[in-house]
Formats: sequence, structure tokens, C-alpha cells
Amino acid sequence: MKLSEIIEKLNLDVVVANELDDVDVVNGYTCDLLSEVMANCKKGTAWITVQSHLNIVAVATICGVSCIILANDHDYPQETIQKAEKEGVVLLKSKLNSYTISGELYKLGIK
Amino acid sequence: MTKKDETVNPVSKDNMERLDILIDELKGIFSNIKAHEIMNTSVVVIMPDRTLYQAKELMRLRKISGLPVCDENGMLVGIVSIEDIIKALENNYINDKIERWMTKNVVWISEDEELIDIVEKFSRYGFGRFPVLNTETHRVIGIITKADILSTILNKLKNLYVRDQRMTNVLENTDLHSISLITGEKLDKSGADFYFEINYTDINMAGVGAAKLREFLLSKGFNEELVRRVAIATYEAETNVVIHSESIGKIYCFIRDDFIKVRVEDYGKGIENLELAMQEGFSTAPDYIREFGFGAGMGLVNMKRCSDKIVVVSEVGKGVIVEMLFNIKTGREET
Repeated sequence: MKLSEIIEKLNLDVVVANELDDVDVVNGYTCDLLSEVMANCKKGTAWITVQSHLNIVAVATICGVSCIILANDHDYPQETIQKAEKEGVVLLKSKLNSYTISGELYKLGIK
Repeated sequence: MTKKDETVNPVSKDNMERLDILIDELKGIFSNIKAHEIMNTSVVVIMPDRTLYQAKELMRLRKISGLPVCDENGMLVGIVSIEDIIKALENNYINDKIERWMTKNVVWISEDEELIDIVEKFSRYGFGRFPVLNTETHRVIGIITKADILSTILNKLKNLYVRDQRMTNVLENTDLHSISLITGEKLDKSGADFYFEINYTDINMAGVGAAKLREFLLSKGFNEELVRRVAIATYEAETNVVIHSESIGKIYCFIRDDFIKVRVEDYGKGIENLELAMQEGFSTAPDYIREFGFGAGMGLVNMKRCSDKIVVVSEVGKGVIVEMLFNIKTGREET
């Protein structure tokens, strides 16, 4: 499924977009421990987390995740946003909690 | 495909015993150090009418684990620690005022108390920190944690120039810094295809080296999955250097016909128990690091998982060397 479709259906706020390339989202992963994320995320994963500090961008780049979805209405610090812009990592956010976002994604067929 | 892992921990029992003797000898030198030489004078205090939530935020921002509570005259009236915060969170009174829940009978240290007595206090009470008070005014002038004691001792040691056969380290002796741990070949580090110095301590920056290595390998045309494995393993090794080593580190990458070799070295405090460290879920990361989502005890496990062969060598106080091989041709099936 295309990322743009997910953003629309889940009503996600786009903090950092990647306008050039509407990437594919193949699966999802929900976790706040970076090592676990790196061990389990694949290329094309939508990563749902409550972590917002700078290092999530490094993790996302290394794993090649499609996007980061920040749950619970948390905000990204400015330096995270700047780094994501530089690295081309898509940052999204939602008022819903991690569990609910995961469930909604699952309903859309992202497994 | 088979994967072989080895851990080497070259601290012999004999060496440990000799170290104990040395420490005994050194004790005399440290006996007349006073509290005011050890204490951290930039002590953060909080007023009793603030909330536990505010205390928690202050501790988080300043990365400390306890706060003396002082009234408007600077007189010590209590102390709050991380444990108090945890209890408050568990029992839902984090928004209560500090004075209600703080420890009121504070054990403190006077500024001219001696090191030996201070160490004794730490072991007797098991507290993480003691406020230091001026003997006359009874105002808080500093705070002492175990880390402060350790750094005082280390500074004294620096001035002493102890050159003892007992201290010569195994890593230097066997010259592991110039041979490959895995293949045993002589390592010409100047011939590394990629080099990065981990010279920062900010956890936010962790991964810069791994990201650079990733770009470098992609530019060399290696397939994405292989590069991903190398990058993840390197990232884990790099964050370990930043979180744990308290020293600088180096990342070397050597590209050979059939494998990529990554070597991450640091010269820091080393790993006390390698077997334990290799266990999934084991971590010694401090709380503020865990809050960032690190310290899951997955670092070495991830390195092992991503590499085809890994060797870790460490000695306490001497640093850690991690060497990893990634096969180019075979790749690896997804597990």
C-alpha cells in the first residue's frame, strides 16, 4: 500500500514528507526499543513508536523503514525534524496510541 | 551455513589477586582525602513545596538520580531519589508536594569527613548519594555519589604514575590491536577501506559512523541486504562505545574478495562479564539511556545475529574490541 493512502486513511499529521517518492508500506512494527526495531524492521516497514529523539532517524535510515509514526500526540524535537529532512526520512504523528494505530494499520491490510 | 562465535575474557584469576594486593597498598595514599575534595559542588537542590513531578523532570534533565531538598535558607530538610519517584508513579501521587514524601532523616556528610568514613557510609546505608554540609552553617555545599569517589581516586592515580608489572595489560601484551581476532592475520589499519573515529559522547549522535559506513558500502555497489546487516551491527557497536566505554572509539572496515570485516575498538572501561553481556536482555545501561530506547540488552545479540562471525575481546579498564565478518557471496537466509 502506498504511504499517501495510509496517511489519508489514518488521518496522520505529516511532519516531514518525502514528496518525490510515494513509498510502499509493506508491513508494520511497533516498538520503542531501538535494538529490537533494528532487529525486526525491514525495508518498507511503518515503524510506530513513542520515541522522538534524534536517534530514531539513524535507526530508520539504517533499516530503511518507510516512515515513523509517532504515537500519543508526542512531538518531534526540532533536531529530529532537521535530521529527517536531511536524510529523507518520513515523519508522521498521530493522536492515537501505538496499539490503536497498529490495529488501524492491520485493518488496512498492513500485516 | 554455520556461524561460530567466540568470547575471550583474558583476565586471569592470578591477575585479579595481584590487583587486590596493589589496591591494598594504594589505600594508604588515599586515606586522608576529605569530603570537600571529593564532592561535586554544582549540587542541584529543590524546594520542599515543589511537586515530585517537578523533581522527576529536574532529575531527568540534569541526569541525576537524587535531589537534596532545601528550604529557602539553604538548610537541608530532606532528600528525594529515583526510588521515591518510581513509588510515586506506581501509586499515583507524582503531583503531590515533595515535603510529603521525601526522606526526612537524611544521612549527610560533613565537609571534613575522610574518604574511608565516607566509603563506610556508602556500604552501611546503601544509599546512592550523600549531601555534604558545611560544619558550622549546616548548609548544603555539595553532594557525593560513588562516581565522585571513583573519579577522585582516578585523578589521584593519574598524578601518581604507577608503573607496575601487575598493571601491564593483556591486550597490550599480546598486541591484539595489530592482529585480526578472527583470521589472525596482521592488521594494517592504515590500509582500511573505511575509517571513522567515534570521538563524541552525545548519545543523540550515535550512529553517525554506521550511517557513513552504510553510504560508503552502498557507493561500492554492495547489495542492500548485506549493507543493512553491516550497518545494524556497526550501529550497535558504535552506540556501545558511546554509552559504555567512556572513551573514544574507532571503526575500521576492510573489504576483501569474499567478506567485509568491521572492527570497532575502544579504550574505555571494558566489559566485566562477557558471557553475561552476550546474553539477550542483559544491560548495564543507565536509566537516562534506557529512556531513549537504548539499553535493551540487544546490542551484542544483534551484532551476532547480523554478522557471520564475531569475536569480542575485552578487559576491564582496557577497552573492547569487536571484530565482525560479513560474507559477501553467500549472503544469508532470513531466519
